[in-house]
Amino acid sequence: MKNKIFKLVFILPIIIYSIVLVLLPLLYVLFLSFLTSDSYGGIIYSFTFKNYLNILEFTYIKMFIKSSLIAIITTVICILISYPFALILRTKSKNFQNIATKLIMIPFLTNSLIRTYGWIILLRKSGVINTTLLTLGVINKPLSLMYNNLGIIIGMVYTLLPFMLLPVCSSVLAIDNSLIEAGRDLGAKPLQIFKKIILPQTLSGVFNGSLMVFIPAIGYFFISDILGGGKTMIIGNLIKNQFLSARNWPFGSAISVFLIIVTFFLVKIYKHFGGKMDDLGGF
Amino acid sequence: MKKIMIIISLMLILCGCEKNNLNGEVNVLNWSSYIPYEIINEFEKEYNIKVNYGTYSSNEELLAKISSSSPGTYDIIFPSDYMVELMIQKDMLMPIDKNRIKNYSNINKLFLRQKFDPNNIYSLPFLAATTVIAVNKDKVLDDIRGYNDLFKDKYKNNIVLLDDQRIVIGMSLQANGYSMNEVDKNKLNSGKDWLLKLNKNIKAFDSDSPKTFLITNEVDIGVMWNAEAIIAKEYNPNIEIIYPKEGFAISLDNYSLVKNAKNVENSYKFINYLLRSDVNKKITDEYPYINTTYSGMNLDYNELLMVLNQGTYVENIGNNIANYDKIWAEIK
Repeated sequence: MKNKIFKLVFILPIIIYSIVLVLLPLLYVLFLSFLTSDSYGGIIYSFTFKNYLNILEFTYIKMFIKSSLIAIITTVICILISYPFALILRTKSKNFQNIATKLIMIPFLTNSLIRTYGWIILLRKSGVINTTLLTLGVINKPLSLMYNNLGIIIGMVYTLLPFMLLPVCSSVLAIDNSLIEAGRDLGAKPLQIFKKIILPQTLSGVFNGSLMVFIPAIGYFFISDILGGGKTMIIGNLIKNQFLSARNWPFGSAISVFLIIVTFFLVKIYKHFGGKMDDLGGF
Repeated sequence: MKKIMIIISLMLILCGCEKNNLNGEVNVLNWSSYIPYEIINEFEKEYNIKVNYGTYSSNEELLAKISSSSPGTYDIIFPSDYMVELMIQKDMLMPIDKNRIKNYSNINKLFLRQKFDPNNIYSLPFLAATTVIAVNKDKVLDDIRGYNDLFKDKYKNNIVLLDDQRIVIGMSLQANGYSMNEVDKNKLNSGKDWLLKLNKNIKAFDSDSPKTFLITNEVDIGVMWNAEAIIAKEYNPNIEIIYPKEGFAISLDNYSLVKNAKNVENSYKFINYLLRSDVNKKITDEYPYINTTYSGMNLDYNELLMVLNQGTYVENIGNNIANYDKIWAEIK
């Protein structure tokens, strides 16, 4: 009995926290998404599906596709960086592995907005990269590294890479060495070892990382604002606009609900491929 | 235990002392980078009133802050023209008693009696701004007089615009000879086509600091608020500032008191202080918007008349904003 009360005391704050700060606001967003906005950005309590139909307009669909493409490219680049990193890390000592994975976390100590602003100094026309390349004579005209989609992708990859690195590293490092040795003894070439042994065992790590990269990559509006020069809208920008300049909270809520549904499906696919919910950070 | 009691009572006494020394407080909510901090500090020293200073970066954010806070949280706010109108309609403001503002006479009459508050019952002018075209004459030798001069191929990726859908779409409407508050779909569409045509020349949309683009030579042409252009010109004297011939936007920010404000007396003191000639001048020296007082006039009389006559206020267009928003999504 005592034990039960004890447990309850510890769990109760978390339950209250989840209900008050997660469940209720989400329900409120869902509720809002079926309402209409008045001409002053207020809300009229009349039920409508209009906001969801609005999402299906060609303009927005086109934007969703563009935004998803940026997120997919970001995810693929993150995978391409993470695998070699993890495979090299495997060959190092345990101590080195520990330090290296801790170092991945270090940038999180600085606010991501400030880190994004830092990139401007590197990428702009008169920035560090262009000035260096110009003085070295590698290029004769400054490269357009930002205020375009390239800038957005650089910013997204930089900000979201740790979310891919950590799960990929932990799954690659967890592979039993004897399996790889056995494969090599039986005459498998490195590529075959990768395809037949490493890849299947690390796929859930990659899926996990992809989810954690893809979903923020369609929402991080500040990166497209700062490094994309506000020229490309991603879904995050559209939602932000509805709550600020367009003052259409119901439509903004509908897009948010739509995003939640997309996320939900992605998680379903992840589960289907044998991903564990615990690895996503306790859903 | 005794010790703790003594410490607590000492702390209580100290808190009490502090309260007694002050003539209360005033809660100010203002645009970010609009009043230099030293002015606030000097006010606190001179009047012994604590200023709780908060900032916002758009009228919509201000509206959200006022409507979501409990009544009496804020005393003085600085809404722009259309937001004053909206807040009056929503009954969020308190009438201003001009007799309690000694320096009221310093306000330039040209800025009074604007159509969003014709009798200045709820608002008094604070600072004004217009959109201008700023051109770096080191790089661009052509004569640029208006928005329709920005299409040349050689300006590819060379223009920065404000990241503001009403201003940018409004500019495209003016370029086509319409009002910047147009809601007619066909006219809006021609504005959209105009912007799609200009798109190849636009490098970025930025409202936070478009001047930086000009100062660092990232672009050579920008449409921005006049204060930004003036600061850019301080860095590079060869930047020319042009009032576009097709028309431009004007924005007037105002002193307003929030309904149910708790520190009305101190609010009047604060407004009066900001209207004092020496203090007021410091504001526009640091942030070179258009000064609205007689003592601090920073445009000559004719230019001021021209700006007020030809500038267009952004008006509240109600649900039609949804069409603007869709165009905005299509351009980007």
